[in-house]
Parts: sequence; C-alpha cells; structure tokens
Amino acid sequence: MHAGTTTTHDAHDVHDHIHPAPEGFIRKYVFSLDHKVIGFQYFFTGLFLLLIAGSFAELVRLQLTKPEGAIMSHNAYNEMFTMHGTAMVWMVLIPLVTGAIGNFVMPLQIGARDVAFPWLNMASFWIFPIAALILFSSMLFGGPHAGWTEYPPISLADGTAGALWCMAIFVIGISSTMTGLNFMVTIIKMRAPGMTWTRMPLFVWATFATALMNMFATVALSAATGALFIEHVFNVPFFDASRGGSPVLFEHMFWFYSHPAVYIFIIPAFGVVSEVLPVFARKPIFGYKMIAFSSMAISILAFTVWAHHMFPSGLAPWLQLPFMILTYAIGIPTGIKVFSWMATLWGGRIHYTTAMLYAMGFLITFTFGGITGVFLASVPVDLHMHGTYFVVGHFHYVVAGGAVMGFLAAIPYWYPKATGRMMSERIGQLSFWLFFIGLNGTFLPMHWLGLEGMPRRYASYIDFAKSNPDAQFWNTFETAMSFLMVASVGLLVFNVLWSIKHGKVAGINPWGARTLEWTISSPPPYYNFKKLPEVYGRPYDYDRPLPYKNTDNELDEYPEYGRVLMPIPTPAAVGA
Amino acid sequence: MATAAAAIPHGGGHAEVAARYHDVDPVYAETRDLRLLGFVLFLLSDCILFGAFIFAYIYLRVSAPAWPPFVGGHQLPWFDTSFAAFNSIVLFGSGVTMHFALENWKHLNKRKFNMWLIATIILGIGFLLGQAHEYSVVGISWAGSTMGASFFTLTGMHGFHVFVGVCFLTTLAIQANRGVYTGSKYFGLTAGTLYWHFVDVIWVALFFLFYLW
Repeated sequence: MHAGTTTTHDAHDVHDHIHPAPEGFIRKYVFSLDHKVIGFQYFFTGLFLLLIAGSFAELVRLQLTKPEGAIMSHNAYNEMFTMHGTAMVWMVLIPLVTGAIGNFVMPLQIGARDVAFPWLNMASFWIFPIAALILFSSMLFGGPHAGWTEYPPISLADGTAGALWCMAIFVIGISSTMTGLNFMVTIIKMRAPGMTWTRMPLFVWATFATALMNMFATVALSAATGALFIEHVFNVPFFDASRGGSPVLFEHMFWFYSHPAVYIFIIPAFGVVSEVLPVFARKPIFGYKMIAFSSMAISILAFTVWAHHMFPSGLAPWLQLPFMILTYAIGIPTGIKVFSWMATLWGGRIHYTTAMLYAMGFLITFTFGGITGVFLASVPVDLHMHGTYFVVGHFHYVVAGGAVMGFLAAIPYWYPKATGRMMSERIGQLSFWLFFIGLNGTFLPMHWLGLEGMPRRYASYIDFAKSNPDAQFWNTFETAMSFLMVASVGLLVFNVLWSIKHGKVAGINPWGARTLEWTISSPPPYYNFKKLPEVYGRPYDYDRPLPYKNTDNELDEYPEYGRVLMPIPTPAAVGA
Repeated sequence: MATAAAAIPHGGGHAEVAARYHDVDPVYAETRDLRLLGFVLFLLSDCILFGAFIFAYIYLRVSAPAWPPFVGGHQLPWFDTSFAAFNSIVLFGSGVTMHFALENWKHLNKRKFNMWLIATIILGIGFLLGQAHEYSVVGISWAGSTMGASFFTLTGMHGFHVFVGVCFLTTLAIQANRGVYTGSKYFGLTAGTLYWHFVDVIWVALFFLFYLW
C-alpha cells in the first residue's frame, strides 16, 4: 500500500478487491467473518432457542388446562412464563429477524461484498450464545419470576437469578447495539453504484429503520438492566421506594427500549412482506416511497410512545393524553403500509407459494393485532384491560402473527438463495396451515376471556372460572390449538434440514424476483458479487426491463410464470 | 491498516512533505469513512447510555421530597463546587491540548504532537486523581441514598470513560511513534480526539447537574 500504486480515487474501487475465501473449518464455519455464514449461525442458534422457549410456552399452556393449575407449582409457573417471554424476545426474535435474515439478505440486496465491520459482526454473534447461556443458567439459581419485564420491587426478590437475568439482557443488548451500528454504516456507505436511497429494496429500508432503533434504544435498556443489576448486587437504591428510589423509574427506562423493541422485530417482518408480495403477485409494489418512509416514521415515533405501557402505574394525567395521541399516530404509518400491501395484491396474478401464504397470513393476523393495539392505546380502555388476557392476545397476534409470520415467510423465500435448493412446497404449505389455524385458535379466544376479566400472569384462575363456566373449555381449546403451532415448527425444522439434501435444485432466480441477490449464483460465492452491479431503478417494476447493468449473470427474468403487463405507462408507451 | 509505511521522518523539503500527503490509498480512504461514521454512531449511542442515567438522576431528584435527601433523619451535604470546578478546568484543558496535538500531527510537526499528547495524558490522569480525591471527601456513599446512587454511578461511568481514554491515548502515542500513522492516514488519532472531546462534553453535563443545579 505505497504511494502511486493506484491512480483513481473512486469510492468503489475498494470493493473491486475480492478477498480469497478462508480455509480451515474454524475460520470458515465457526469464527467466520462472512455475513452469510454469520446469518446461518444466528439462524440455527435462534431456531434451537426457539424450541426451548416454545416448550416453556407449552408448559404454561398445559398448566392452564385446569382452573387450579394442572401440572406445576405456582412458583414454577411464574418462572416458566418469565423465561418464555425473556427468551423469545431477546434470544429468539431479535437475533432471528435482525441477526439471521438481516445479516444474510441485506448486504446481498445492496450489492455489497460484506457488512462494514465484519469483525464486529462476528463479535456480535458470539456474544449472543454467551448471553443465552447466562440467561438459562439463571434457572439453576431458582430462575427469575417477575415476568419478562422484571419490574422491581418484585424482581429484586429473585436474588442471584435476577442478577443473572440483568447480566444476560445487558450482554445481548451490546450485541444488538453493535449489529445496529454495523448495519447503519453498511447501508449508508456501501450501496452499489447507482443505488440511491429511493432505489433501495424495501427490506433494506426496513433494516435501516430497525438498525436505528437497535442503536439508540437498546442502550437505554442496557442502562435499565445495568441499574437493576447494581441494585441487586450492591444494594444501590435506584428503584427501592423505601429508600427514595422509584419503581416507576425502571418502567420508564425499560419501556423506552422495549417499546421500540417490538418494532425492532416487526419492521424487518414488514420488509420481508414488502419483498414477497410483489414477487408472487407479479406486480410493482404499490406506494414504494410511502412504505419506505412509513418504516422510518414508525421507528422515530417508536421513541415517543413508551409510557402507554404504564397507564396503570399512576402516570400523571397530563402525560397520559400526549402518549395516547402519539400511540394513535403510529396507526397512521402502519395503516399506510397495510393498505399499500393490499393494493399491491389487487389485480395481481397471485402465486400461492409457501412464502406468499405466510405473507398473506401476516396481513390478516398482523392487522388484527394492530387494531386491538389501537384499543389498548386508549387510556380508559387500557386501564380496564391492562391486567387481562386481552393484552396477551393482542401481543401474540402482533408478535407470533406479525414478526414470526414474517420470519416464516422469509425462510422459504430466501432458502433457495442460501442453500441452492428449494424447500418442499408440500410440507411448507402444510406447516403454514397448521401454524395459521393454531395461531388463531390459541390467541383469538384470549380476547374474549380477557374482556370477561381473566387475569394474565396468574398460575390459576379458580375465581374467574366460578363466574365464567366456559373458561376451562376455552383454555383447554387454546392449549390444544397451540400444539398445532408446535407441529408446524417441527415440520419447518424438518423441512429446513431435509431440503438441504433433497430439495429441487433452485438455480439463480427461482421466483423471478428482481432484487440484486437474485442476480448471483445460489448459494452465493464468498465474495457475493464478482463485478459490482450498477443500479438504474427500483427492483419492483415488473413491467420494465431489469434496472441493472454489469451483473454477474444474465437473468432469465420470468422463468416460470410468464410476464404480466401492468397498466403503467412505460417510457416507450409515452414516447419517451 | 497496520501494515503501513515506516516512521515519518522530520522536516524535509516541500516535495517530501507533498509525497507524504499523497500516499492516500483508496482502501484507506474508503475504510476511513466507514470507521469514522461507525465511531460517531458509537459515541452517539454512548450518549444515550449517559442520557438514560441522567434521566434517572433528574427523575429521582425531582420526585424527592427534599434534596439533598434525608438519610436517618440527617440531610446529606451538598457537593464542594470549588474543587470540582478546578478539576473540570483540568479536564477541559486536556481537551484543548488534545486539539493542538491533532493539529500538529496534521502539520507533520511530530515533536509538538508528542508534547501536546503527553500533556493531554497527564491532565487526564490528573483529573482521575482529582476524582479519587473527590470521592474520598464527598461524605456520601454509593448505596446510602439515591443521591449517592446517581452521583457515583454517573461520575463512575464517566471516570471509567476517562480511564479508557487515557489508555487509548497512551496506545496512540506509542503507535504514532512506531509509524503506524502517516500525514494522511491517522484515523486512530481522529478517533482518539473525538473520544476525548466526547468525554469532555459529558462532563459539562455532569458538572452542571451535580455541582451547579
């Protein structure tokens, strides 16, 4: 690297250096710097933890088949739902949607050879299993019992287990922050030549909005869990009301992160759906800019609504009103997205593949969860329903019906690119229907049970069952339906593993999609792009030629389905 | 980038200086941009960490019936502003010396660069010693009250950042004298300077909140 070896200073010269792939098992598969391998590592670790956290959920459901509690002590029940929530939010959903899908897809979609800081990326991943180990080791010390929010003063009774809980969340927060930082720099600085902001695929927009929240909200969670940790270990009075501290302060610090957290896992799902719908409807996405900007609007508004989780905490009335209005305001960008997706489907030639089924299922269940969220944003309604199963139903419609459905749509969609093989459509569609029916069967009855007053987080509901004779029926029904989701996830895991060997060979572009990752071979080579592609337009205009030059492969644009012309004036049609 | 050229020689004619400026290689030019943005984002997220604890302090202070709070029937003492003001001047002074250090590096004046950088490190250590003195005479304890909790957590976090900064600058001083950086490739020094100014800015907020409010 001496003077005079290079004559041009063009910003993209750098990427013309193709690095040789590492050799040796450890550098290739364990401490890999390659964003694709790291994506796989996140995927399989997250999937493994999903099975653990999901089995906790099934234990919780089995307990509720009898009003007095069927299988375990109340203490064990508290531990189970706490660990279920904590592990699902931090160890499963965030690593899966940002770590796995984001890591694998985002650099490919912007035409980059890796993320900005591969070492940081590797470190972010390896922090994650360590955090998971710390979290699950807390169960050896009696386990945390205060719910996934771990509100003091109740959580302070958890002792060592509570301290380990704080440590685990603090550590995974560092991983999340670093991933956010890495993705932001990658998206800002490393897009392919010609890919302006408004030519980015919508999944990249979603990843950017997510990274923004990852960076700036997660640190507040680190502060909250850090303060709770030093209160646990050194008895420092931040939250102990008897010594001048304030438990409500923890709620503020916690929700300042944890409200954006739900958007951290829902916005990548929005991105996935925005990719899948136009491909399988064979139509340009409707309202590209509105979808992109509404992602950003959601991520910025997310920082201003945290106290709507705290209406029953005695929040001052003059504070309740602005938080209520701001929460309603989030419904606007979300609604814009939902209507844009519906308009994308309108008049399209819809191909019901597994990915498309999940994306359309997402539209139904997420919209349902979103609307019950608007109910809960209203202060008087929330005060009435905050402690009931209505909240559990709402939350799981958004998370399982939104984030997880989006994630499940992403798997069959990008699986051919990641492995070079197609997933089995037959198993995939069966697992979709099991999941969709199981999801609605499990969480829909929670809404009316909640409206009737069934309290959440209780290990037994004897009093409620006395006044509502059908309570046990519905709870047993929910438990039975929840096992359909277990079967679906089992089929998914089987399908993922089986198709690696036995799936149909995918080829470069099995779906006829138009984003950049479909211009390179499947699976992509170590360096992703041999030549850096040049971008001349958005990837969704199905009525026009592909907007790329200098791609590695000539694309067969519409391999299976034939071309659909949409009534949009092309430059040729208007004489341009 | 650690493979970079040999140590910078002193002085030299115009042609030599110009050559040292024109050894920009595009890999460096690109990764400098990436790293600069990454580092600025890191500092911004660090601001949020301090911001969350500052929020906690303001919340606890505003909602307390009296400040300083009463512990066991006795009101805790106020902090000694005059010593902290002196210590602040030490820290802000180190920000000024760091600025001169970087400027001298940019002008290839390595002797002055070393002088200013060592002055910065000494002032940083001086600030840490001042903080240690402050902790020993402040008369409240970490676990004793909300005042102690916020004070020791926030100033402790800041002190830790200063300590990391001193280690950072010492590493930079060693690297610079071993020829890791050149007249056009000195991202480490830029990052060190940014970090040091960041630590100063955080102290402005802490000084105001604990000693002047």
